[in-house]
This record gives sequence, C-alpha cells and structure tokens, in this order.
Amino acid sequence: MVNDSGQLYTMEGIAAGLVMLLTAYLILSTTSIYTQGDTHIPDMQLEQLGSDVLAMMDTPDREGGKNQLVEFINENNGGGFKDKFLEYCNAKTSGDLDTLHMSASVTYRKEDRIEEHQLVGPDETWTGRESAVRVTRWVQLDQHQQLSPRQPYGQRAQAVLVEVLLWRA
Amino acid sequence: MVALIAVASMVPGLLAGLQSSGIDYDAVAYRTGVILVEDPGWPVDPPWETYDENHKDEIERIGLAVSRDAPNILLSTKIEKFFNTSFFDPEDYRSKAIFGDIPYSYNITLRSLDAEGTYNYATGDDTPPGYGYIRRVVKIKEPSVAVIDGSFKDQYTTDTEDTSTSRNFTVRFDFNRLITQSIDPAYRIDPRAEPVNITITDFGEFLNGTASYATLESVTFRRGSSSIPFPYDESDTDYYTLRIDNNPVLYSPEPGVGVSSSISLVLKPPATSLFNLGPTSILDVEFKFEDEPPATNITGIHYYDYNPTNVTRPDLKPAVLEVAIW
Repeated sequence: MVNDSGQLYTMEGIAAGLVMLLTAYLILSTTSIYTQGDTHIPDMQLEQLGSDVLAMMDTPDREGGKNQLVEFINENNGGGFKDKFLEYCNAKTSGDLDTLHMSASVTYRKEDRIEEHQLVGPDETWTGRESAVRVTRWVQLDQHQQLSPRQPYGQRAQAVLVEVLLWRA
Repeated sequence: MVALIAVASMVPGLLAGLQSSGIDYDAVAYRTGVILVEDPGWPVDPPWETYDENHKDEIERIGLAVSRDAPNILLSTKIEKFFNTSFFDPEDYRSKAIFGDIPYSYNITLRSLDAEGTYNYATGDDTPPGYGYIRRVVKIKEPSVAVIDGSFKDQYTTDTEDTSTSRNFTVRFDFNRLITQSIDPAYRIDPRAEPVNITITDFGEFLNGTASYATLESVTFRRGSSSIPFPYDESDTDYYTLRIDNNPVLYSPEPGVGVSSSISLVLKPPATSLFNLGPTSILDVEFKFEDEPPATNITGIHYYDYNPTNVTRPDLKPAVLEVAIW
C-alpha cells in the first residue's frame, strides 16, 4: 500500500533542517560583535601614554641637564624609575589619579649574548591575565666614568632597550 | 524563508554599525591629541598664536608643539592663546583642532605637574558617559629672560672720561647664534616664535654718585646699522610691553622718564616678525639715557644668547593634556 505520508516526513525533515541552519546562522552572526579589531583602542591609548612618558623621561628639563631615564638605568634605580613613570602616567588634569601599574626590563648585550635585566618587578596586582601593553624605547648609555661598576651593563657606551609593561588594575 | 534570512542577515550589520560610533570618538580624540601635541599648527611663520582677531580666519590649524621636530614639547604662548575662550569660540576649536564633518562636542584640559600648578586650563563642556578619550604627557617650554643685575656693573660701566650727555646700552640678538641647528628646538631661543624679556634690575648700581634716577630717553630697534621704525604706542601690548621701576604703568618706546630701580622690556613675536629678520640678521635693542650731567655710565653690548650668565631659560615643566570627544 503506497500513500504520501513518507513525502510529508521528508518535507518536515527538510523544514526542520532549514530552521536549525537558520538558527545556527543567526546565533553565529549576531554574537561576537566585539572583535579583535576593537580591542586595540584601549591598548592604543595605553601605548600612546606609555611611550609619551618614556619620551618625556628621556627629555632633560634644561639643555645639558640630567636625563631621568638614563640616570635611573645607570644607577639601576628601579624604585625611582617606577615612581617617576607612574607619577607621569597616572596624572590627570582633574579628579582621582589613574590606576595604572607597570613593570620594566632592560635588554642589553653582554659579550655575545643578549640578556634581560628586570629593572622594576611586577607588583601584587599582576596575575598574568591582564591585558597589558608593552612600550619600548632605545636608550643610549654613555661610557661609564665612575669607578664603581655599572651593574649589570658594564662600563662601555651602549644602546639598551627599555621595555615597560603597562596594565590597569 | 529567503526574505526572512535576508532580513535576519542584515540585523547584525545594523547592530555593528551602532556599536562602532563609540569607537569613532576615541579615534577623533586621538587625532585631536596628535594635532595638539605633535604639530606646531599652521601658519608657522609668523606663528598662528600671533594673529589677532582680524586675522583669525587665516589660522588653519591650532597645534601647540614648539616645532614638528619636537613632539610633546609645547610652547607656553601657544597654550595661553589656545585656551583663550574670548578669542576662540567652539566652532573654531571644531574647525581648527578637531576637524571632521560631525559637530563633535569636546572637553580639552591641561595641567602642569609642578608644585605650583602654574598651568591649569580647560575648555569645552562637561563630559557625558561614553566619550572618546586620549591622555598625553607633555613638557611646556617658557620664554627666556635676560636679567641684567648689579653683578654686570663693572662690565657695563664706561669710564667717567666720556663727556657726552647721552649713554647707550644695547642688547643684541644675533640670529646666527640663536637659530642654530645644534640647539634642540625644545631649548632654542627664537624671538620670532617666543617673547624675549630684557630686565635690568638693581639699576641704582648703575647710577652715578648722588643721582637718584637716570632719564630713559628712548628704546630703539636696529637691524645692522639702520634703525627700524616702530610706530606703536604703549597700548599695543600684543607687540611689546615696557615697564619702569616695577610700575604697572606701560610706557611707549620714547618714555622720557626717570629710572631709579628697574627696566623691563618684553618684545613679542608680532613685533619681531615686522622687523623682517632672517636666520643671519642681527637685531639690536638700544636703551638711550640722556641727562645733563650724565646720571648713569651704563654702556656696552649685552648678548642675548645661550650663555647662562646672560640669559636664563626656564626649565621645561611636565604637564598632562586630556582630550575628550563625544
């Protein structure tokens, strides 16, 4: 006995399939509006701020005056570097200070090796899951004149790379 | 069904379009920040901040940087003009600093980080939630000052054999020495871009014997050997100010008054730009004293240059600039 119930089942199946496909399509296309392309905006703001701060620390207040960035690195003064960096970085024109945190390292060449020296360690807010940005600046260190050794970079004139990790917490 | 899918597929595009307007504000704020901090504005020579109300339309861009070669170093005179809201109206800020077809609202603030808080400026409206934002760290450059005090007495006093009744004292701007590429624009003295300030203090030290004052007959400007006509009077404070004995009264370049303690002359870029000075010119500012018998023996040439004994250049002041756009 042949009737048309099989045909009905087939049509139902196709319709159900289409509905499922449509649902999946709608779900996929309406979610994830916040794409990789957008995350760079707050990153860009932090990067700009960080590189401004490094540039200003690298600009003496008077001609031939002391260069804060070079001085902190020469003296291996991580505390001073951190205080000055965050003073510039967290300053706003009004209201409370911003809540940025940082760590910094200096990359230099020692004989035929490239070594990294942690100038400022991360503080307690660092969990490793922050969306931190990295800003860098090449710094020229002159020949070290004083008798005490310049740790860990040695006495010779050299360019070192200062890297600062910056995050909000 | 096809129509349903077509409509449904348009919905996320619609949502994404709405979402992106917030991101756009950040980009505009960033662009405005770059114009303010890294660009000296346009025109550059003479610089836009020297333009008066009648020539405001000729200003195309209001940037605050000293030079395009010195990003993040802002000029104090540009800052003062920029935040002068009786000179610039909101439409000027939109058309000369923010740009774009949409009439954005803005809030631009600047505060120096020195202990005195010398600079604290704001312009624009209060910020609503969801505005675009950028913060820049900068340093502010201020005009230089030549202070001629009692310590220069021996250097600038002529011998008493001179029997003439007039005494000339000159301050010399040698552009060959000033506008040199070896000086970073962040520290350069350029009278065409910044005011220059000549202050003679302790003038009593330069007076002869019992004289209580010397008469300042005139202040003349010379390029090489020829004097430059200077038809401005004391009310033209955009061009210069001349003060005597710390008196609030302003004087013309031919004051003819007695000086007992100090002279302060500030020569501003609109004036220097009229003098047609090139990169090798020499500008002399001559103070002429006339008394019978002479009341002072001041004479000589004081060089306005990079020698720290002759000219004091204030330290750069760190500051923070915030731009909010919505």
